[in-house]
Amino acid sequence: MMEKNGHILTISGVTKTFDGVRALDDVSFSVRSGDIKALIGPNGAGKTTLLNAVSGLNPPTKGSVLFEGRDVVGLRTDQIASLGMSRTFQLIRLFTINNATVLDNVLLGAHMHLRPTLLETVFLRGRIKRQEREATAKAMDLLKLVGIEKEAHALPGELSFGSQRLLELARALMTGPRMLLLDEPASGLNDAEVEEFTRLLMTIKQQGITILIVEHNMKLVMNIADDIIVLDFGRKLAEGPPSAICANPDVIEAYLGAQSKECGVTQ
Amino acid sequence: MNALKRYWWLILLAAIAVYPVIGKPSPYRSGLLIFAGIYIILAVGLDLLMGYTGQISVGHAAFFAVGAYTSGILTAKYGFSPAAAMGVGVVFSATLAFLTGRPVLALKEYYLAMATLAFNEIVVTLIIGFEGLTGGASGLRDIPPFTIFGFSLLNHLHYYYFVWTVVVLVIASSIAVVRSPFGRALIAIHSDEQAARSFGVDCAKYKTRAYMLAAVYASIAGSLFAHYMGFIAPDDFGILTSINLLVMLFLGGIGTIFGPALGALFLKLLPEITYQFQDYELLINGIILIVVLVFFPRGLFGIFTALRNKIVPRMGK
Repeated sequence: MMEKNGHILTISGVTKTFDGVRALDDVSFSVRSGDIKALIGPNGAGKTTLLNAVSGLNPPTKGSVLFEGRDVVGLRTDQIASLGMSRTFQLIRLFTINNATVLDNVLLGAHMHLRPTLLETVFLRGRIKRQEREATAKAMDLLKLVGIEKEAHALPGELSFGSQRLLELARALMTGPRMLLLDEPASGLNDAEVEEFTRLLMTIKQQGITILIVEHNMKLVMNIADDIIVLDFGRKLAEGPPSAICANPDVIEAYLGAQSKECGVTQ
Repeated sequence: MNALKRYWWLILLAAIAVYPVIGKPSPYRSGLLIFAGIYIILAVGLDLLMGYTGQISVGHAAFFAVGAYTSGILTAKYGFSPAAAMGVGVVFSATLAFLTGRPVLALKEYYLAMATLAFNEIVVTLIIGFEGLTGGASGLRDIPPFTIFGFSLLNHLHYYYFVWTVVVLVIASSIAVVRSPFGRALIAIHSDEQAARSFGVDCAKYKTRAYMLAAVYASIAGSLFAHYMGFIAPDDFGILTSINLLVMLFLGGIGTIFGPALGALFLKLLPEITYQFQDYELLINGIILIVVLVFFPRGLFGIFTALRNKIVPRMGK
């Protein structure tokens, strides 16, 4: 399944227009398998648009998105998700209707593996219950991994903002993804939470999951990214290892500015 | 005491079983309970679609009609056994829901409401139009009583037990559905369709499945109704009936299964309490509705759970 050159995701010539406005203009890059790649750039540069184009929520107008060698443009969002690509959202989007709990939210991540049918649900209760027990055990492990297992039976709305972000991450991990798309997962977190989050991302990376992360917190980016791509006005401005990006005058002018001192920070 | 909190419905079950023995109801009284049971089946199905999946239907009585007329026509005119006719009705309704589900449920909110309303109207118009088959506006008569293995359920108490057995099965299977991965997918769709998709939920498919299940329940309710009445007319299945179902959902507490069941029971038994006020009956019904909805937005079931939690204090979670 993997491409020869070890790229899990290859984006070529992706363009997205909204009513004539080019939100993405001929963007091409690829993500090496096992890497953490950061996607940075000013607000309105098209970062979320790019994630939505990849995950199928808002397909590109032009261009191709190869995930493990397969063009996913034109597939439905649920089909792309089922191929092994999961995500979190910039504005937290948890399931809250009918008193759905934290645990319920994580369990939904198992949907693509359970694919429950109506007849099974009504007539094969034993089998469903067994699957549910296994899924629950896995969900609890993931809640433990992100550190909110004590809140498994709380409602998502009762969680702190930081914990809600962690819950989104646990839900994405529950799908058993080979690739994670994270949309500003550290925004709104305090310094201690960001540090905790950094460690968590490294743990996830060690499990062999590739990550494409959109993030404004440069300290976090410099600590975890193997590779960075910079978008500006929908175009690729620069791409390369963190040290090269930090030294790139175009990037400093367009985006880093005052933050460029954060570039020096490494652990 | 915690057992009481978990198994309170067993008391309800016992009450249903024992009532005819102790209460010795008149045919009129048991008739009211039979109607209530039939409406509970309808309301619980609609709750799966609206309360859980978040898809409004202002035309659910259409499937009630399909069940009733399939049963009525096949038994009265073609000599089918009632059980077989009911089965045909279920298959027919499920197929109709499957075929109309995708295009209709692709719509949202007001547009979905309008489309389902139109669907109800179309079904009623077709029933009136195909007079030779359905009896048209003047109704279909001579529908035989229900029989199981040749045993006729002419006696109202037999039919009471039959209908309430179906009610219990419908509620039990609905609870099984909503507390399962399938139900979780429905709740995810209700919360945030895009997010649900991002986790592999094929929303169109699951919405259609919920619609089909609600249609099957409604069809069964229709068959039970036709055999009990012996005579059915298009008026029984109009938009007013659909709207009454919505009232039952909100009155009882939408998205709880038991709530809409309670709402249906309450609304069908209410005339028993208010009939003595004669001319003011409708007025009193209306006032009760408004009071419940304004002061108890979570409906009768919300009141019930609040009381239960007061009697049996929460033992943590």
